[in-house]
Order: sequence, then structure tokens, then C-alpha cells
Amino acid sequence: MIRRAVLIVLGLIWLGPTYLLLVNASRPATSYDPASAWVPSGDFALLENFGHAVEGANLGGSLASSALYSVVSPLLGVIIGALAGYTIVVLRLRHGFWWFLLIFGGTVFPSQMMLVPLFVSYSDAGLYDTHLGLILIYTAINVPLAAFVLRNFYSGVAFSIFEAARMDGASTWRIFWRIYLPMSVSALTAVFILEFTFIWNDLVFGLTLTQTENVRPVMTAIAGLMTDVYAGTPVPVGLAAGLVVSLPTVVLFLATQRLFARGLSLGSV
Amino acid sequence: MLGRFRHGYVAPAAILVALLLYAPFVWTAYLSLTRYDGLEPPVWVGLANFGKLFSDPALLTSTRNTLIWVAGTMVLPVGLGLLVAVLSYDIKGGAWYRVPFMLPYALSGAGLAMVWSPVLSHDGIANLLLGVDTAFLQEAPHNTLAMLLVWTWQQLGVNTLLFVVGLQSIPKEPIEAARLDGASGWRLFRHVIWPLMRPLTAVVVGLALVASLKTFDIVWVLTQGGPGRNSETLAVTMYKETFVASEYGYGSAVAVLLTVVTGLASYLYLRRQVR
Repeated sequence: MIRRAVLIVLGLIWLGPTYLLLVNASRPATSYDPASAWVPSGDFALLENFGHAVEGANLGGSLASSALYSVVSPLLGVIIGALAGYTIVVLRLRHGFWWFLLIFGGTVFPSQMMLVPLFVSYSDAGLYDTHLGLILIYTAINVPLAAFVLRNFYSGVAFSIFEAARMDGASTWRIFWRIYLPMSVSALTAVFILEFTFIWNDLVFGLTLTQTENVRPVMTAIAGLMTDVYAGTPVPVGLAAGLVVSLPTVVLFLATQRLFARGLSLGSV
Repeated sequence: MLGRFRHGYVAPAAILVALLLYAPFVWTAYLSLTRYDGLEPPVWVGLANFGKLFSDPALLTSTRNTLIWVAGTMVLPVGLGLLVAVLSYDIKGGAWYRVPFMLPYALSGAGLAMVWSPVLSHDGIANLLLGVDTAFLQEAPHNTLAMLLVWTWQQLGVNTLLFVVGLQSIPKEPIEAARLDGASGWRLFRHVIWPLMRPLTAVVVGLALVASLKTFDIVWVLTQGGPGRNSETLAVTMYKETFVASEYGYGSAVAVLLTVVTGLASYLYLRRQVR
């Protein structure tokens, strides 16, 4: 009984700010008043407020850019990582373990460590503030994890499958695309979702490597909008923007929860 | 003959990682030994930047704040997360009791700032609610503590979830046996459940340790390290020295320091945990 009581009290405390968020994000933009923030307004202006944010901060371009980064980079990342894992495990690349260590070692460095060189070299190479530049770094960051997970996955696959396909005269490239890649869709999806979330929520690279509204990822743009809250962006507009841009990751997680739990249980040894 | 292109297949991964992850690391290590403003070529200064690290009052503040973040993360999001997990994992409808804690996790760092800025500002909801007039985000160190509470609000859920997965996967037999022997409540937890869930705790604490050493997003969106520099963490200091003050060499030295500290902490921690 005490357990439930403690959980309920803590839960109510946690719901407080969530409630404030929902109520005030749906409040008409002009009617926000801290003193009556707890009282629902009776109107539902969430989408209207979000519309204001999209117009005011030009979030449209940022949203499109973030969608581009969060889909293209993990997609490239998992395919490149899977190809590396396949080559190391199935094709039995010579010194394969060292290649794997080299690739997986990329996860060691904190992103702060990379910012200055990336900023300077991107400026020199004309990649600063371009879609291509962000896709490149986001893809590179994905590769180690994808290689790690897919290497493990492929080493659990019977080698006779590969041998049989070779007997039938299939090329190694074809075997990868037609047999190994389709076979590992669940692992690929789990990595894709993790990376999608990471990129969609990323702040640091967007802050450092972009400038214009159309290239800037949406989280960086929103963080910028924050300073405008003091400069006059109405609180409900800011809240609505923060709420709506968080939705894609929530939907993705809810939709793939089961797959994800399975991936987690496979991953834990 | 098998796969003449084997190295060709591994090349895209190796090249991307080498160019975009390894090369920047080496370059930062080099820049930390130079004076560089991003315009003139870097000038070699040896260990001068690192000498400056130890006499810079701003760095002292951000080291202190980073330590608060590390210690606070262990107590609040991790400790409280464990508490919620232990209280809820084996009661009927436990998943429903955990919903309130999972909702905030969906919000990104930027969304988090949107929710909490109006709450914590000087004419904000928290002050009105508590009937006080506190500048929650102004004075050190309680602006760091306020942000830590916000962070707890967001991160508790994911830690709880990890602990619940662990608690539900530990073998039932030792617990049943201990129950038959009359153990219950705190003693059951302390002597039976806790030792069994140790491997998982090691992972959760390890992840939280590394993440808290690199705290950046939440500070950046709520205070940008200010006012002045009093809520900066090491990661924020590194960012500001580099991109606000254009002290690339010094900023790189802070990045190297942060990397060494994070690496060392992970190593010491793992060495103790993984035997």
C-alpha cells in the first residue's frame, strides 16, 4: 500500500509540468498569464500556435532539413555499416578484427572533440552550412554502431547460406543485397530508430555547422526560438513548437516498441 | 578469388570514420598545443593552454558545476529511477504507474527549455506557485541545481525503464527461497535483489556517468552557461571559448581535458565493475 502511495505522489508531481505544457501549448497565443497558467483556456489553439512558430521562426525549412538528415543519414549509415560487418564476418576479411576495431573505435570520441576541426575544415571545403555537410557527419557517426550490431548479427548466421549462394554462382555483392541485407531487417530497423532519434534531437552539430534557416536542423532552430521567448515570442507558441517537433520520435518509439524490446533483449548478454 | 572487392566493401565505413571521427580528434589534440583564432595560421605554444587551464577561474567554476552534474545525476535520475522501478516492477498495473515518468522523456532538450523557461523565469509559475521570489536560473550554484531538477524530470523515466527490464529478468527462484526464509521489504532488496541486479546497475550508472560529464544541451538551452559564466559545464566552456571567443587553441585544450577525464572515469569505473 505504501508503495502505491509513494508512486502516486511522485507520479502526480511528474504530471504537473506535463499538464502545464499541454494546457498552455493549446492556449490562444495572446492569452498567456503565469498567474492563471493552471487553468485550461477552453480553446484548442495548439495547431494554430504551431503555425505561428513555423511562420515566425521559419521552421518550415528546418523541419524539412531535419527530416532529410534523420532519414538519409541513418539509412546510409546502416547500409555502409552492414556492408562492413558482412565483409568482416561473412567474407572473412583478412585482419577483419582490426578493421572492426578501427571502425568501432569511432564511438570513443565525444562530439565536442570534433567540433573545431569540423568547423574549420567544413569552412575550407565549402561544406559549412550545407545539407551535404550535415548528412556526412551524421552518417559517419552512425557507422560504428551499425557495424557493431550487424557484425554481431551476421556472425550468428550459418555460413552454409553463403556457401550455397556461391555454389549457385551469385556474386558477393549480390549475396549481400539479396540475402544478407533482407535477412537483417529487424537489426537494421532497431539501429535506424536509435540513430533517427539521435539526429532528430541533435543540437550541437546543428549549432556549430549551420547558419541559415533552411539548413539548420529543427532542434537548433527551436533552441534559437527560446531566446525569442524573452524577446516576444508568446509562451504558447514556443510550447506548441516544442511539443509538436517532439512528436515524430514519440510516434516512432510507440510504433516500434515491440521490435525495440526484442532488439534490447537480443543485445543484452 | 572470393570477393576481390573485399577491401572495397569495408572502405566506405573505414574512410568515413577515419576522415570525420579520427582526423578531427588528432587535429584537436594538435590545436590544443597552439594559439589559433581561426583566421591566422595556428602558432605553436606548447603546453601553454594547459597551463592556463589550471589558473582560469571560469574553468574552476565549470569543473565544480560538472561535478555537481555528475553527483546529482547519480542521486536523482539514477537513484530515484531505481526507487520507482523497485516500487513498481512487481505490483499489479505497475506499467500504468510508470506512465507519468515516461511522458517527459519524449521531449527533446529544446522542447524541455520551452516548458521550463516560463516556469523558472523571475515572474514565472514556480515563483507564483511557491509564493516566493527566487531567481532560479540566476545565482550559482542553485541555477545548476534547478537545471538538475529539470533534467531529473526528463531522464527519470528512461532509467526506470532500464531498471525494470533488469528487475523482471532476474531469476525468480532465489527471491522465492529468501521469501520462504522470511526475508521481505528492505532486507529482501538489500541482500537478494540488489546483488542480482548489479550487472545492469553497472551499465546504467556507467552510461549516466559518461553522459553527465558531457552535459551540454540542457544548460545551453536554459542559461547558455550564464548569467556571466556561472552555470557553465566543461562542455559549455569548451563551446564558448571556441565559437564565442574564437579561442580555438584554448577551446581545444578544454576538449582534450574533457575527453581525458571522461576516458579516465570510464576506465576506472569499468575496471572496478567488470572483473
